[in-house]
Amino acid sequence: MSGVAPNRPDASSRTVVEGVARVVAVDGDHVWLEPEPASGCGGCHSAAACGVQSGSNRLATRRFALVNDFDGRVDDRVVVGVFEGTLLRVSTIAYAVPLLAMIVGGAVGQGVTGSDGGAIVGAVVGLVIGLGAAGLRAKRLSTRGDLSPHFLRRAYGPEPGGDCHLD
Amino acid sequence: MQEAILLMVGAALVNNVVLARFLGLCSFMGVTTKIDTAVGMGMATSFVITTSAAISWILEAYLLVPFELGYLRTVVFILVVAAAVQFTETVVRKVSPTMFKMLGIYLPLITTNCAVLGVLLINIQEKLSFFNSMLFAVASCFGYSLVMALFAGLRERVALNEVPRLFAGPPIGFITASLLALAFMGFSGIPTK
Repeated sequence: MSGVAPNRPDASSRTVVEGVARVVAVDGDHVWLEPEPASGCGGCHSAAACGVQSGSNRLATRRFALVNDFDGRVDDRVVVGVFEGTLLRVSTIAYAVPLLAMIVGGAVGQGVTGSDGGAIVGAVVGLVIGLGAAGLRAKRLSTRGDLSPHFLRRAYGPEPGGDCHLD
Repeated sequence: MQEAILLMVGAALVNNVVLARFLGLCSFMGVTTKIDTAVGMGMATSFVITTSAAISWILEAYLLVPFELGYLRTVVFILVVAAAVQFTETVVRKVSPTMFKMLGIYLPLITTNCAVLGVLLINIQEKLSFFNSMLFAVASCFGYSLVMALFAGLRERVALNEVPRLFAGPPIGFITASLLALAFMGFSGIPTK
């Protein structure tokens, strides 16, 4: 399966950002995991509609696959991690590259034609080129498994909203 | 060139979206518990604001003003923001489903972020050319992302210290934000035009 990284990377020299996920399906030698919902800030009465408190539909779109070399079964909770710089790198590829290309395209359009129309056309062309470049780069990183989370260990302790039963 | 630089410095630092105009405070307080999430949110918001600013400028210049539909400006711009967020979500999912899994969590938060609509309306108010309005939007986004990252770093440091029980959580966060706003007031003497 492309884009599925081998588990247990050598994280000794790089900081890993951890998160907890639940196994929702086992598919041959791979498992599908769903991240556990993060708690919202809870700072307002719209917490029920808050995008951070993801509903089941949104969580389903964030399912990801891992190689099942840790004997995972449905409902198992595991800790997965991504390298600390990965989110920054992914954000840069997905957003900064197309944005920069759009600005450069707009500048070129403005410079060549000296009109707003030229700047608009240049910006659109730049955006399309930037998105294409971002897609190619993302595909290359995904194939290497650089964008995928890695299995770290099994998760113990209460689930979100659960209790620590000490009795 | 000088005009563009002053415009961008003014938008990013002197009239910072969060600390000077007090927009986007919900995401500012809610997503800045960790630097990684703050940076991700900042970049996603930057993309949406810039594309929305470009689209809103075009609609203002070629639709709202010529047909005297200024009273629809707020509604139209809200629709533009919602469409831009959907466009971003669709594009990121098509470009890389893996990236969407990592970044998609931030996108719904941007739709209701008042900083996005605020920047669009301020942009129109300034009556800039298309390219200058894009520069203004990009600079505002840079200021927003910068403040988000700074505040996330401060909050991470505060979390490692012993805070009195009554001040733990949002109270010490707001006190820290107000001190950061005071620091940014030091930029207020810089000319912006």
